[in-house]
Amino acid sequence: MVNYGGDEVAALVVDIGTSSLRAGYAGDDTPKVVIPTAYGYFTLPQDQDIDMEESTTGDVQTPKAKIHIGSSGPSVWRDGMEIGNPVTDGMISDFNPIPSLIQHALGDVMHCTTSEHPMLVTEPTWNTQANRERMAEIMFEEFHVPAFYIANTGVLNAFAAGKGSALVIDVGQSMASVTPVVDGFVLRKGLSFSPLPTLIRAHARHILTTSTSSRPGIELLPHQLITSKTPVEPNVVPTFTLREDRVSGTTQSWRMWTENREVDEWIQSVAGVLEQGWNDQAAAARQPKQYEFPTGFNTAFGSERFQVGEQFFWHSPQLVASNPNLPKTIPALITESLRACDPELRQVLMGNVVLTGGGSLFSGFADRLNAELTRSFQHTKIHAAANTVERRYGGWLGGSILASLGTFHQLWISKEEWQEHGRPIVGQRCK
Amino acid sequence: MAVSAADVRSALSIHETISASTPVQPRKTTAPSTKKPDGISRELYSLIGPSAPTLAAQLAKPRLKQKPNLGGGGRSRWEYRSFKNPARSDELELRHWVKASTDQNADYPFAKYNTQSSAYTYSQDEYTKYLEDKEWTKDETDYLFRIVQEYDTRWYIIHDRYDFPNGASRSIEDLKDRYFSVCRKLIRNKPWTSDETAKNLLLASLQFDKDRELMRKKYLLSLESRPPEQIVEEEALYIEVRRLEQNERKFKKEREDLLRTLAGIESGLPDIVEDEAPFGLTIDVKKKKKIGAAEAESPATPSTISLGIPITKRPPTAKNAAYDAMHYIIRTDPPTTTSATKSAHTPAYLRSFKLPAPKQAIAPKVTQALAELGILYTRLVMPTRENCAALEQLLEATTALIETKRIVDKVDYDIKVLKARLGVREHQGSEGVEDVNADGNTTSADAMDVDTANEEEIVGDDGRSQSVLSTRSARGRKHSRRSMSISSVDTATNVSTRAGTKRQKRS
Repeated sequence: MVNYGGDEVAALVVDIGTSSLRAGYAGDDTPKVVIPTAYGYFTLPQDQDIDMEESTTGDVQTPKAKIHIGSSGPSVWRDGMEIGNPVTDGMISDFNPIPSLIQHALGDVMHCTTSEHPMLVTEPTWNTQANRERMAEIMFEEFHVPAFYIANTGVLNAFAAGKGSALVIDVGQSMASVTPVVDGFVLRKGLSFSPLPTLIRAHARHILTTSTSSRPGIELLPHQLITSKTPVEPNVVPTFTLREDRVSGTTQSWRMWTENREVDEWIQSVAGVLEQGWNDQAAAARQPKQYEFPTGFNTAFGSERFQVGEQFFWHSPQLVASNPNLPKTIPALITESLRACDPELRQVLMGNVVLTGGGSLFSGFADRLNAELTRSFQHTKIHAAANTVERRYGGWLGGSILASLGTFHQLWISKEEWQEHGRPIVGQRCK
Repeated sequence: MAVSAADVRSALSIHETISASTPVQPRKTTAPSTKKPDGISRELYSLIGPSAPTLAAQLAKPRLKQKPNLGGGGRSRWEYRSFKNPARSDELELRHWVKASTDQNADYPFAKYNTQSSAYTYSQDEYTKYLEDKEWTKDETDYLFRIVQEYDTRWYIIHDRYDFPNGASRSIEDLKDRYFSVCRKLIRNKPWTSDETAKNLLLASLQFDKDRELMRKKYLLSLESRPPEQIVEEEALYIEVRRLEQNERKFKKEREDLLRTLAGIESGLPDIVEDEAPFGLTIDVKKKKKIGAAEAESPATPSTISLGIPITKRPPTAKNAAYDAMHYIIRTDPPTTTSATKSAHTPAYLRSFKLPAPKQAIAPKVTQALAELGILYTRLVMPTRENCAALEQLLEATTALIETKRIVDKVDYDIKVLKARLGVREHQGSEGVEDVNADGNTTSADAMDVDTANEEEIVGDDGRSQSVLSTRSARGRKHSRRSMSISSVDTATNVSTRAGTKRQKRS
């Protein structure tokens, strides 16, 4: 027991990201519950008491009368259902649906009594003090947890990789961040982040929807809105029947959400990045990839699939000129982060680069990053877990490790302390 | 269902042991049948009855290897207990699974890892007395000490989190400098209970040279900010330097090899030379050994060293002789006269151990004479059989030479004495003077003739006689050339005879 430093007290770990909410027991290697963070809801005037059988219907004192959470929440088409996401830019911006989401994960899926388990929650490095205090309040007041701790995802990702000091490159669904971690503490001055993955998605969407000489623009209709389709030859206008009955009841936000999902799926299965930097010939030499959209339209994507990934590392001067608020590329983020760090630390950090986040599973990403970094730092060593679960849920995994350590249990904010000291205890304890 | 046990028995021609005539008896028999042997199913046993003991033995339950008994005693009890962490100041009770055998009241095992570093504190009084600094206010110093304590002197994090309201921006060196200087001052000025060395050690551990640190960081930065061309150039230079060093080494080695080849032992290089350059050396040796060495003509390669005493006892056959000749093996017969006692036994030895040495009495003279010729006789570079023989001959010749010279000197002296006497007589009577002079001239002339004739044959070059002269020069330079040549004649003629006698003596 003491040998491994582990002492499990049945703590729960909750990691809330832009795309999914991860929850599970500390000490496990994978989260028990992974549900989308996005949720479907109906605003009050439209409230018609629709009760969906399998999804949770939380009753929150907000205009959102009924919300649909979980695997059959937002992805199921419902008449007039809007889609919301409490997380913007990696940070919780709307706390109203958070209790319902956590309740769904812990209560309805895991069947836990939250008042019996200490709770560890993660936060991005750029989280605000008010946000973490609000989270603590929700946990203590609504879930009655006996103890609570909020830990930084950067630190947790470093822990998941088995490192105390690391430069954590976290590419999520909406944000890419570079966090220097030293001795288990984040160097806040060295933090840099940008909504780069959002730009990638926008770029991919642009590529797909604009017509080229070889193919028409692609309609990103989700399969929920399609009744039937017939197989067609590649690059031919698809023949499918739209579900006309549903089109009228489809809200803009649901349509947007599903279209983004289509784009994300395309990115995950087709898009890539060249390992050694952009090169027209190298891109053309690669094997084109076939992809079929829900409409039945199918085509082979050649070099354009590599243009998408290139946006992670390099922006053309025209694009920079046209858009002054362009998110910084990964190399720019790393440079910025290192510049803020002590010169002595740079070697240490570059020798311990941890690549994590679902976005980093982008085809060819790790190899390209390695090529970019070794160009300026000879002794770069990138730790990128080959296991996709570890990569996607690195933050949760680190939290699972941390909350099952015997030495950690003195750091919990207990209910007693919360009641005695109130909100400031969160800032004092969770450094 | 219609088939009864009896039917099956008859079908299998199993002898009926139990008569099923009365209804009471079967009940009796069922009692033993319940005690069926292991390994037979109940149904089968009821069919075949107890009359198949051999079969039963085969069907006995296989004895499996015994399961290892780990943990001595099987399962242990675990309990879900609540515990308190002494490292916590509150009353939080968490629950975990522990072995029931562990002590209920034992301290939480992880609490011992909650260590606190010792903090330095100072009073207002001390601050005004020792710690005043125009760059720092007391409040900011207090803040610094608090934050250092909070983050356990992890300076990078302290620097990252350092945020004193309305304070000047501080670099990590500023913070370290202030903290360590305050600590040093406190240690120096506070009463110290333990010994001085500990205090000095502690002070040394708190030493911080800000300028040096800054300089170091600057170097580090400049190292990092090198343009790629510079890095490439530096790498190229480094490779070039390595290449030059390697060339230098190679050149030096080649030079040494060459020196060894050409100059041999006189090159002044370490001993390994001997084996590395055999050919140059043989030439060298041969040239020196020409003196009366008839057998020096044989081009014996000294690469194989023949042992003085061969191991084989059988007499050399024709085939062996050919083999030996081919491989330069020389066999000497073991001494047959001596009995094979332990004391008489001659073990294998290196020829170089039995090198001939001049007689003790004349050894310095021999050394001197040979040194004049530039021969170092005490050590043979390649002590082959021929070389050893040549050396022996050389030494014998030298000894003879010296003996002869001794005689010549004696004769010279006699002549001188006689001459002096003659002079005395001449003073007495002037006649007969002419005669004596003429006589002396003729003898010297004869001697000259002999000298030249013999010189070519044996000595072979002028230098030798020259050197003999110089050996003798210690005796007196006054000797005329005539007398000198006489000496060499005598030496040369005497060589063979002397050597001959010597050899006889030895054997």
